[in-house]
Amino acid sequence: MTIRGGAPGERASAGAGDGLGDLLRRVATRDAAAFSALYKQTSAKLYGVVARILTRGDVAADVLQEAYVRIWEKAGDFDPVKGSPLAWMATIARNRALDEVRRVRPVSLEDQPEGFEPAAEEIDPLAARERSEGLTALVDCLKALDEEKRAVVLLAYYRGLSREALAKRFGRPVPTIKTWLHRSLAQLRDCLKS
Amino acid sequence: MTITPDDDFAAAEYVLGTLDPSERATLAARRLREPELDEAISAWEERLAPLAEAAPEIEPPRDLLPAIEARIRGASPEAPGSAAVVALERSVRRWRAAAIAASIIAGVLAIGFVAREATRQSAPREYVAILQKDAASPAIEVTVNLDKQELTVRPVAAQAPPGKSYELWIIDAKLGAPRSLGLIGDTPRGASLSAYDPAIVAGATYAVTVEPPGGSPTGQPSGTPVFVGKLIPVGP
Repeated sequence: MTIRGGAPGERASAGAGDGLGDLLRRVATRDAAAFSALYKQTSAKLYGVVARILTRGDVAADVLQEAYVRIWEKAGDFDPVKGSPLAWMATIARNRALDEVRRVRPVSLEDQPEGFEPAAEEIDPLAARERSEGLTALVDCLKALDEEKRAVVLLAYYRGLSREALAKRFGRPVPTIKTWLHRSLAQLRDCLKS
Repeated sequence: MTITPDDDFAAAEYVLGTLDPSERATLAARRLREPELDEAISAWEERLAPLAEAAPEIEPPRDLLPAIEARIRGASPEAPGSAAVVALERSVRRWRAAAIAASIIAGVLAIGFVAREATRQSAPREYVAILQKDAASPAIEVTVNLDKQELTVRPVAAQAPPGKSYELWIIDAKLGAPRSLGLIGDTPRGASLSAYDPAIVAGATYAVTVEPPGGSPTGQPSGTPVFVGKLIPVGP
C-alpha cells in the first residue's frame, strides 16, 4: 500500500505502509528510538494537517507536540484493521487542532489573521497521484457530490472552517450550509457502505 | 446501532470539525458516557481519515522533537523540578491510571480526583482537586485547607495562552452565579476562602476559564471552563 500526499515529499511514502505500522508497534512497547523514527517520517505530514487549521505557528507547534505525546501514550490502541497508521495518527493530530480552534474563548480565533487567504492553496484529494485504498474509495464517493458541496466538505476538513466561515465564503445562510453538510455526509456514508 | 440520525450527524460534524464550540464540548463529554455515540464518532473518523493523506507536507519547527522527547520521558520542560512538583507529577500519573473510570461534571468536561499523600502532617481537613480537561492534558492543582480557610493553586504544566490569563471560579448553586477566586499565575498562590461557608467550599465545583489579561472584565466567566473539578479530602 502506498501512502502519499498530493505534494512533493517522499518521506511519508518512503517509510509508509507496513513500516509505520511496525514503528507504532515498537512505540507501544515504549521504544524511544522507534518513536524518534516515527516522528521523522510523519511529522511533516501531521504538521501539514494541523498548520492549515491553526494558522498561528506557535499554536500549531504546541498542538503537534501534544499530538505526538498522545501518540506515544496511545500507540497500543492502533488497530491496522481500521485504517492506515498515518490516518490514525492524523486523526489524533487533527482532533487536537479542532479542539484548539473550537475552544470557547473570549477572542475568536476564527477571524483569520490579515493576509491569510484560504483560497491561496486548495487541497484536492481528487488530484492526488497515488492513493491508499481508503483514499481511493473516499475520492470515488466525493466525486459523486456536486462540486460546490464537495468544496464545503473539503474546506471544513482541511481548513477547519466553521459553518459560519463556510456560509460567508459560499455566500449562503448558515442553515443552508448545515443542510448541505448533512446531505453530503449522508451521501458519503452510504456510498462508502456500498 | 441504536444511534439516532441526529446524533449520527452530530458525530459526523464533530469529526469534520463544523460543530460550534459548545456543541463540540457537549459531544466530547457525551462520547465518554455513551458508547454508541463514541462508536459513531470512531466510524466517522475512519471514513474521513484517508483525506489527511492528501494534505501536502509542511516542515514543523526543528526544536520540536527534543521537546516532545523530554515530555515523554516525564521531564516536562514547563514544570520546575522542585520536590513538591515531582511528588505531584507522581500523583497525577497515579490519577491517570485510575482515570479510566473518569466521571463527567456539568455535562461538559471530564474530571478526576487524586488521593495525594499528605505532605504536611498538620493538615487536618485538607482537600485537593486536580483540574484538567482530560487525562492527558496539563493540570492545575487546587488545595484547600478548611481550618485555615485557605486555597492554594498550583499550575502543574498548564499555561494560559499568550496574552491571556487563567481565572479560577468557585461554582455552587447556593452561591448563585460563579464567584471569582482570582487569577492563576506561574507560581503557587493562595487565596482566602473566609467569605464562604466551609460546607459550600468542600462541595463546590472549581473551574478555570481563559480570560483577558487581568481577568474577566464582567466579573463573570467569559466562556466555557477549560479545566474543572471538585475537591476530595486528603491527609489525616
